[in-house]
Amino acid sequence: MTVQTQTAQDIKKYAQLTNEPEWFTKMRYEAHQEVADLALPNFQKIKYHSWPINVTRKLSIGDHELNNEELATIQANVVQVGSKIIQHELPAEFKEKGVIICDWQTALQQHPELIKKYFMTEATKPTENRLNAEHVAHLTSGLLIYVPKNVVLKQPLTSYFFQDARVPQDYVHHLLLIADSGSELSYLENTGTIGSKASPANIIEEVIAEPDSHIKFASVDRLGENTTAYLNRRGYLKRNARIDWSMGMMNDCNIVGDFDSELVGEGSHAEVKVVAISTGDQVQGIDTRVTNYGKHSLGNILQHGVILARSSLIFNGIGHIVHGARGAEAQQESRVLMLSTKARGDANPILLIDDNDVVAGHAASVGRVDEQKMYYLMSRGLDKKTAERLVIRGFLGPVLSALPSKEVRQILADMIERKLVNGQQDE
Amino acid sequence: MSTLEVKNLHVKAKEEKKEILTGVNLKMSTGEIHAIMGPNGTGKSTLSESIMGNPNYEILEGDILINGQSIVGLPVDQRARAGLFLAMQYPAEIPGITNAEFIRAAINSRRSEDDQMSIPEFLQKLDRTLKTLDMTEEMSERYLNEGFSGGEKKRNEILQLMMIEPKFAILDEIDSGLDIDALKVVSRGVNEMRGPEFGSLIITHYQRLLNYIKPDVVHVMMGGKIVKSGDADLAVKLEDEGYAGLRDELGLDVKLVDEE
Repeated sequence: MTVQTQTAQDIKKYAQLTNEPEWFTKMRYEAHQEVADLALPNFQKIKYHSWPINVTRKLSIGDHELNNEELATIQANVVQVGSKIIQHELPAEFKEKGVIICDWQTALQQHPELIKKYFMTEATKPTENRLNAEHVAHLTSGLLIYVPKNVVLKQPLTSYFFQDARVPQDYVHHLLLIADSGSELSYLENTGTIGSKASPANIIEEVIAEPDSHIKFASVDRLGENTTAYLNRRGYLKRNARIDWSMGMMNDCNIVGDFDSELVGEGSHAEVKVVAISTGDQVQGIDTRVTNYGKHSLGNILQHGVILARSSLIFNGIGHIVHGARGAEAQQESRVLMLSTKARGDANPILLIDDNDVVAGHAASVGRVDEQKMYYLMSRGLDKKTAERLVIRGFLGPVLSALPSKEVRQILADMIERKLVNGQQDE
Repeated sequence: MSTLEVKNLHVKAKEEKKEILTGVNLKMSTGEIHAIMGPNGTGKSTLSESIMGNPNYEILEGDILINGQSIVGLPVDQRARAGLFLAMQYPAEIPGITNAEFIRAAINSRRSEDDQMSIPEFLQKLDRTLKTLDMTEEMSERYLNEGFSGGEKKRNEILQLMMIEPKFAILDEIDSGLDIDALKVVSRGVNEMRGPEFGSLIITHYQRLLNYIKPDVVHVMMGGKIVKSGDADLAVKLEDEGYAGLRDELGLDVKLVDEE
């Protein structure tokens, strides 16, 4: 007789209810068994270990009714609330070219070969840390996106993922995005929260770039105030593949963002752009890493953030060039602008260089709003808050203007304005 | 008609002890152009910054009034909306916001929510003003002062002045670093503003600017206060005799900075 933990029983019940394939349930059990022995991941200067970030509740089926008028107005190809896809309208081009987009349960049933091959096998592993193991054991929601070989998609794909916090439940969400060889995709993701029950969100997103593929990945994250989030985005880049990340961290909650690009293939290239705004009492810890394994691989990090009120923002920028990555390059710039004396900001550059024939550089700063600029703007009649927002816009400008899509630039600019106006009310 | 009045103003810089303004008295009305001349280091810029409300200066005594209402307790943005404008010696560079966006925001900050200047109306006015100042449309689409040459910045200050249409404009050494052509253009702009609803306080070292913008009153500042006022001829006389001549004539005990 085996003694089963409560979680193991929950997994069993959930697997039965959802008719989950046995091989995946087995992965859950294995991950769950490791949880107790694994440590939380460590990120320099990000102190989150005391947060209620672990997922412990029973796996939710997520069949809550939806009656939200706001949702009806969302313009997106895929809208997912909890585990449930409530909108799914793809451009004709996607169907014609054989693109696969489906929720997690469907993916397990219909595309086991893709899940078996890619799910936490390359970009990250179930046992990499405790939060990853919890993720696999408790995963209830997700999306699979697969772009076949040499398919070049002209239309962008837009998704909205909503954490359902109208009832207390854990949000454990997975994105598996695979761009097969020679394919191209532009993807815009939005995350948000419905409801206000305190809950952890454990989100892992794997972006697999097969040889010669090119992915433009943009995200606007707006998780709610009472959420505690682990957001792990991993890019895995093979030969001559490229990922352009454009991430807007506009959350209202405490969050650890772990944004890593594994430059495995020769000539692979990752551009990582992050804009973050922290307000109120929140803490946003962002750990952005590029690791160059491949020869002549290139990883650039550019992150600018603003902190208001009593909030914190930590930017770690890690450029790691491993031995043998000849001709690789890793550059980074992290800057934080403080608008309040009670806010705390950190821009922490870390370069780990294990090869000689490489190029690497970093720039980092934490500073206050330039009083001369404020005086000048206000001397023309603009009130202090408007003047502040203009200075902030100027500060974030270098990141925004470097984003590859005009549409994303506009969306982010609007979100920044909104988050700042809200944040300033709490000054 | 509006009035701007400075009464017995004593000012020091925040970080320092020494009084820079030692009792300035000045009264002007819209419809008038006043010039303030004076040697280096005599407090001319401090006066203009103090009137505008630069937080780096501290008022020790005295008052500044618009239409009889004291403004010394108001922050800079409220003074601006009350009708003051300062064309600065060293305008800040602000990336991320275009000149045109900024000017429109500044204009609308003076108007109520339901009376905002429309974009077509704004563009029309902007076009006209750019032409007056020999500026290209491209200048209005560039980020605010970013990468502007010294002369371009001065011109841009006058562009803002003409677009915002304040009651009182203080021009702080708007002529410094300008060649004669640019000086004429800037003067043309200021002269176009002349009228019963506009007054200007022009701060300058040299009489040259006053050949192009004819002042109604000329004040001479030395040692932190106004020591003599007169009509436009006073500026000409100063040009001939120098500040040292006037100082000795008035029997003042003031050391001129540039004096050996």
